[in-house]
Amino acid sequence: MRTLPAGQYLPGHSLLHRLDARAKILCALILMTAVIGASSLWGYTLVLVALLIPILISRLPLRPTVAAVRGMGGFLLVILLMNALFFKGETVLASWGIIQLSHEGIKQGFRIVSNVVLILIIGNLLTMTTLPTQVATALESLIKPLKLIGVPTEEVAMIISVAIQFIPTLMEATELIKMAQIARGARFESKKLSERAVSFLPLVVPVFISAFRRAEELSLAMEARGYRNAKNRTRRQKEPLALHDYAALTFSVLICLIQFLLQR
Amino acid sequence: MLVEGKNICYSYAFGGFSFALRDVDLNIARGEFVAILGCNGSGKSTLVKHLNALLQLQQGELKVAQIDVRNEKEVWLLRRRCGMVFQNPDHQFVAPVVEEDIAFGLENYEVPRNEISGRVRSALARVEMSGYEKRAPNTLSGGQKQRVALAGVLALDPEIIIFDEATAMLDPDGRQEVIKIMEKLHRAGKTIIAITHYVEEAVAADKIILMHQGRVLACGSPQTVLTNLDLMKEAELIPPFPVRLYYDLQQAGIYLNRCPLTEEELVEEICQFKSKI
Amino acid sequence: MSIQIENLSFSYLQPSGEKVDALKNVSFTIETGDFVGIMGPTGSGKTTLLQLLAGLRLPTSGRIYFNGEEINAKGYDRNRLRQTVGVVFQDPEYQLFATTVEKDVAFGLKESGLSRQEATDRVRWALETMGFDFEKVRNQSPLALSGGEKRRVAIAGVIARKPEILIFDEPIAGLDPFGRENFLQFVTERNQTGTTIIMTSHNMEALAEYTKHLLVLKEGRLIDAGATREVFTRLKQRYNGAFQTKAQRIAILLAEGKLMFSPAVVTYGDLLSALKQELTGGGRG
Ligand SMILES: Nc1ncnc2c1ncn2[C@@H]1O[C@H](COP(=O)(O)OP(=O)(O)OP(=O)(O)O)[C@@H](O)[C@H]1O
Ligand SMILES: Nc1ncnc2c1ncn2[C@@H]1O[C@H](COP(=O)(O)OP(=O)(O)OP(=O)(O)O)[C@@H](O)[C@H]1O
Ligand SMILES: [Mg+2]
Ligand SMILES: [Mg+2]
Repeated sequence: MRTLPAGQYLPGHSLLHRLDARAKILCALILMTAVIGASSLWGYTLVLVALLIPILISRLPLRPTVAAVRGMGGFLLVILLMNALFFKGETVLASWGIIQLSHEGIKQGFRIVSNVVLILIIGNLLTMTTLPTQVATALESLIKPLKLIGVPTEEVAMIISVAIQFIPTLMEATELIKMAQIARGARFESKKLSERAVSFLPLVVPVFISAFRRAEELSLAMEARGYRNAKNRTRRQKEPLALHDYAALTFSVLICLIQFLLQR
Repeated sequence: MLVEGKNICYSYAFGGFSFALRDVDLNIARGEFVAILGCNGSGKSTLVKHLNALLQLQQGELKVAQIDVRNEKEVWLLRRRCGMVFQNPDHQFVAPVVEEDIAFGLENYEVPRNEISGRVRSALARVEMSGYEKRAPNTLSGGQKQRVALAGVLALDPEIIIFDEATAMLDPDGRQEVIKIMEKLHRAGKTIIAITHYVEEAVAADKIILMHQGRVLACGSPQTVLTNLDLMKEAELIPPFPVRLYYDLQQAGIYLNRCPLTEEELVEEICQFKSKI
Repeated sequence: MSIQIENLSFSYLQPSGEKVDALKNVSFTIETGDFVGIMGPTGSGKTTLLQLLAGLRLPTSGRIYFNGEEINAKGYDRNRLRQTVGVVFQDPEYQLFATTVEKDVAFGLKESGLSRQEATDRVRWALETMGFDFEKVRNQSPLALSGGEKRRVAIAGVIARKPEILIFDEPIAGLDPFGRENFLQFVTERNQTGTTIIMTSHNMEALAEYTKHLLVLKEGRLIDAGATREVFTRLKQRYNGAFQTKAQRIAILLAEGKLMFSPAVVTYGDLLSALKQELTGGGRG
């Protein structure tokens, strides 16, 4: 019944797991830039093909990511429709009052959906192979320059890492609450779409309540276990970047470059 | 006194009428093993959450290891000395991997990096969870979670350890083990505060605090508290097995010499009685 | 409604790709109106088994039949299954999701066809059965309760629907002694009126005093099954100490002291009556 929550760290020994977290974060950012910079079908295909390499070497199960994308299906569909129907394009295919279906609108819709999906995959690759604590340490050293202008970089890094780790927890809670509601007669499994849609409504409030609740518990637990601030903690060793880190960075930069060349 | 509390009152709805704690006085000496008993909702968890300042003191006074729990600057030091195993282990986990979770506390107190993995491993070994280092806490069974939660506290080796129903979801073997761990820590000079619904677990304590509707109903040795039927009834609790048997035998006209608390004492009493007839 | 389990296996897929075999080839039958206890060490697969029984997970292999119909087969009416089976999970936290205790308990009554008044009465009944003062607790948030109170509300939410089969995962963990007795007494009453009860527990006394049949799991395998009393007597030989009732342990200690030896002593009542006989001179002594 339950699939693994998307984005949750999955222990492993693949090359992707062993990459330095700093390198991974930078690669992810560069690749995301490549996604946003894509302007044609070719551009998106390029990133998708490029992503196959880390996906294959990570040997991660695809199910959670696919499930996450599918879970957002409704949301993506709405984006697609909104763009297709409300974008003021030139090649109008059909129109009903203020609503008009245009070629550009459809294209714009697909663009945004592709962006969301690809960025989701990149983000998942990062968080599924990197421990939140590693993300925190890496972020901390990446944003260190900001310290000069007075940003409490350690705290910011900690907040981000807790937030990253919080997403899977939430999905887990959603799944458990859903199970409890099913067990008490909610109709998530119903064949009728209307019944299913209605049964989702009572899920929204409890999930939010449980999210706030969970956030409160997490902060209590952190406090009870002696968390004071991000600064006064045992340091993690910082190792210099290795050859494979540089290789990964070069690869990402290359993809990004090709993307911008393609654009012209 | 290691823990000194006076007139502690607490209401979850601040300023409300319903009090979760009413005028609680608390005195615990260094190295003491204290069991807290009481029915559901009697305020046990609320009380112990004051000891490590998870709940803010609203009324009264409380000092733990000479630190005033209201002193926000020192609260952090207080928590180093006073570890707590939560009633619900899910509430205690902060990291997505077992070993990271146990290391969390150690890192907060700046334990040197090279010591951490050793201490994590030995803590897991103590609760017989070696081999689960890389698991995600949410994929463990109820009892396994409870063991990992305990390991997270043991790794820090605090002076005072609070067990909030830390054995509720353990199998009989696991419960025995945790009781043994408690006793061992107690012998090593630690102060143990254990909340439990298994009256039998309280028998080995130096002192029992009996709570009811937010008040301390009684505080004394297991012998005086657990064998007092009226007191137990007032607290809405059921006395331990040997005590119940003692009184039920009395009803049948069989008068054992003294009221036993443990199974061994019960057997001894019965053998003595038998040899006399 | 009888339940038949055939060669049931279940594996969790670990994130790392490796599998955890939580249940291995388990088969048994539960008759209508039975009261079955499931015992076994931590991690032996009890929770997994209950979730499979409630149709909340799909078995890796093997079949589950309710009245001869396989519940995971294509055409099976899952909604009917939900109406007949009530489950209380091990962790009450995620089972409570409404904003007030009253709404939470009433959740499962939405599709029961009860009128509003009847539903309120049912909620009151369920909460009072679980030892609450209805008026006092109805408007509280279920999350602002003590650990034991949360579990009681979770139980109330399921018994309110009066399902034909009640499944409880570790229901008495965290309940105070009176709460435990109350709950077990109530469940026994339901059982006597025909409800099938399945319950896991680490509390040997509860299992010995109340259940009719026992299933014993160990590392995912069913290692023993049968009438409660017989299983306990057999277990005494298999394990030393932990998986016995207090009465059994005391009887053994007494036997070592050359007093009263009766392998039939399992429950408190057994021990009490055996002792009465022995100590009033009616025994062999
Ligand atoms: N977060 C909260 N918000 C409001 N009220 C609360 C909260 N937590 C507990 N209470 C109430 O405070 C009282 C004492 O709760 P506490 O958790 O201390 O009980 P307990 O003795 O630990 O019980 P249990 O044995 O069930 O764990 C209860 O009546 C409970 O309903
Ligand atoms: N979501 C999960 N992912 C992976 N493994 C799991 C998951 N849930 C449980 N397991 C494993 O499956 C095995 C059986 O777990 P289960 O929860 O059924 O045990 P249990 O008998 O209920 O134990 P307890 O008495 O501690 O509640 C355990 O080894 C556990 O670690
Ligand atoms: Mg409590
Ligand atoms: Mg379980």
